[in-house]
Amino acid sequence: MSDKTAPVEVGTEVPPLEVVVDPEKMKVMAALLADPTPIHFDTRALAALGMDERPVNQGPLNMGYLQTMLARWAGGRDRLLDFRVRFQGNVLAGDTVRGTGRVTALRDDPRGRVATCEVALEVLGGDVVLSGDAEVVLDDQGGGQA
Amino acid sequence: MSDQEDQRPVPRDDYSDLVGREFPGGSYTVEPWRTWLVADALLDDPWDETPHPVLAWMAGVAGMGMTWDDLFAWFDARATDGPVFGEHRTTLHRSLEQGATYDVSGRIVSVDRKVGRRAGAFDVVGYELDLHHGGDHVARCYNSIVFPRRNA
Repeated sequence: MSDKTAPVEVGTEVPPLEVVVDPEKMKVMAALLADPTPIHFDTRALAALGMDERPVNQGPLNMGYLQTMLARWAGGRDRLLDFRVRFQGNVLAGDTVRGTGRVTALRDDPRGRVATCEVALEVLGGDVVLSGDAEVVLDDQGGGQA
Repeated sequence: MSDQEDQRPVPRDDYSDLVGREFPGGSYTVEPWRTWLVADALLDDPWDETPHPVLAWMAGVAGMGMTWDDLFAWFDARATDGPVFGEHRTTLHRSLEQGATYDVSGRIVSVDRKVGRRAGAFDVVGYELDLHHGGDHVARCYNSIVFPRRNA
């Protein structure tokens, strides 16, 4: 269990985020993105491609989960400065994914105290599907504590 | 083979001539309903009026001035080929603001043909998108798309 009052330091773990992937949200995202790729909503198209018939979650949703995790920890959605990830696998409808992060560096810059974090998203019972690193400016009102 | 299959575009061996090609560009407004729906799709708080940072990339692709099908067609690919993301980077120089309209520009920055043992041949296409507001550079998003080339 993390210590809510401990100061952030190298090695501090970001509170993890777990999400159950809902195919109905993929349909909303496909519409918001004007994304015609049928693997996100059309099970017949998936079968024709020889894929699992569960729709494949959009990449922006997967990376958005990690950004949400970082924003909640750092003190708001306006705290993200940089976010860099590599997509390593698919997340399917019904999967439970878990986002994790760990502070690897800290520095002060004109925007405040900036934490660099390694981040990853894994399918529970499966593989890491997204990994990379991010920078967030920590909330001077107490956000970003472990 | 169906008529549709007969009409499939035939991929070229090399698309490096497209590196540097600019998107038409355009603009994107972070409307409150977009902030709400994006947060809800992410199972985040839809009543938080601060736009979710994933909207930087969404603003870029929505304002790049062409559709996904248009972009896929530059590389003789289609949505039904199963293109997927490779890598992504978002750099935010300023926070996004609900209600703000961002000018969008972007370009193709790389194209690489690769061959995997299991995946076979595929092209990795990198592109970047810039958001500007009131003369300020607000964000840059880099993304790569992997196009399967099953018959290459």
